[in-house]
Amino acid sequence: MIKDMFDKQVIELKKLWGNKRQLLFQLLNLAMIVFSALMIWKGLMFMTKSESPVVVVLSGSMEPAFQRGDILFLNNAVEEVGVGDVVVFKIKDRDIPIVHRILKVHEDENGKVELLTKGDNNRVDDRGLYAPGQLWLEREDILGKATGTLRYVGMVTIALNDYPVLKYVLVGMMGLFVLTSKEG
Amino acid sequence: MHTIWVRLNAVVFFGLTVLLGLSCLAAVSKIGHSYYHQPVIHKLELKTLKSLKSHGGVDRALLSFDIHADMEPAFHWNVKQLFVYVVASYETDSKKVNQVVIWDKIVEAIDPVKEIKQENVFVKYALVDQGDELRGKDVQLQLMWDHMPITGFLYMGEQPKDTMTQFTLPSEYQ
Repeated sequence: MIKDMFDKQVIELKKLWGNKRQLLFQLLNLAMIVFSALMIWKGLMFMTKSESPVVVVLSGSMEPAFQRGDILFLNNAVEEVGVGDVVVFKIKDRDIPIVHRILKVHEDENGKVELLTKGDNNRVDDRGLYAPGQLWLEREDILGKATGTLRYVGMVTIALNDYPVLKYVLVGMMGLFVLTSKEG
Repeated sequence: MHTIWVRLNAVVFFGLTVLLGLSCLAAVSKIGHSYYHQPVIHKLELKTLKSLKSHGGVDRALLSFDIHADMEPAFHWNVKQLFVYVVASYETDSKKVNQVVIWDKIVEAIDPVKEIKQENVFVKYALVDQGDELRGKDVQLQLMWDHMPITGFLYMGEQPKDTMTQFTLPSEYQ
């Protein structure tokens, strides 16, 4: 059955190759989808002033508030982050940002803040996770404050990360469908 | 045109759209809830100050407090848990804002009792200053809570300023 369907797709593709005008139309369609997604992402980046407006929770350190696979919407347009806020921050020389809660805030007259964070589910604060010798986070280290959450959606991302092959399969399939699907 | 793939695609896509729509509805369904339903904070005040010492150049105070708060009103069907925490805030010469969480507790929606009534609670995190400026400072205690939704927005609540209590730390180490 699968083979049958696969053959059908191949036939569709061959037909498409024959009809250059149709091919062009479908390619444009594909490009539009890709660029719409890109535009939405960049638009979100602009509005939230965050370099990654949506993140996936990868660890259980914030359980039971957030589980692995939840996605968080970040906002970095807020000037102040306060104690108790859930923030995503980046540590120098570490690729993966961390989602934790602010435990301490110290701010001087010039508005320079120093922060200490901790995961709800961790026993100790995050000093051990920071760069060697680093005692405090600063405002620039914060990628954004978590403002909303959506469950399970991030599971897809986790699966894609764990099995990179899936990425190509998924993208390939989507591309194929957009190319071969016909309007009305 | 009517292959199984197209149909599958349509069903999955429509299903996801509906889920997303429902999530959005869930998120907005309780806007304004906290305006009418505030937790009742009966008491949050210092019980005893155990010590105020210098630890390797930074001041550290250990204390215990009494707390009595009913968090039930803050819950609605889209709140999975409340992250309840006690913040000690004070002002020093070098830092204008100092906020330190000294205690926290997670109250889950499935917990049968959502009232926090404990006496002589020892701090979970010591009140540690960044420097050595804790002596003789006024410290305010405030209860705050963060609503963690099943899906939707995170938002904070805090004890009204006029019901907050404060205490003064001794001017000498003890």
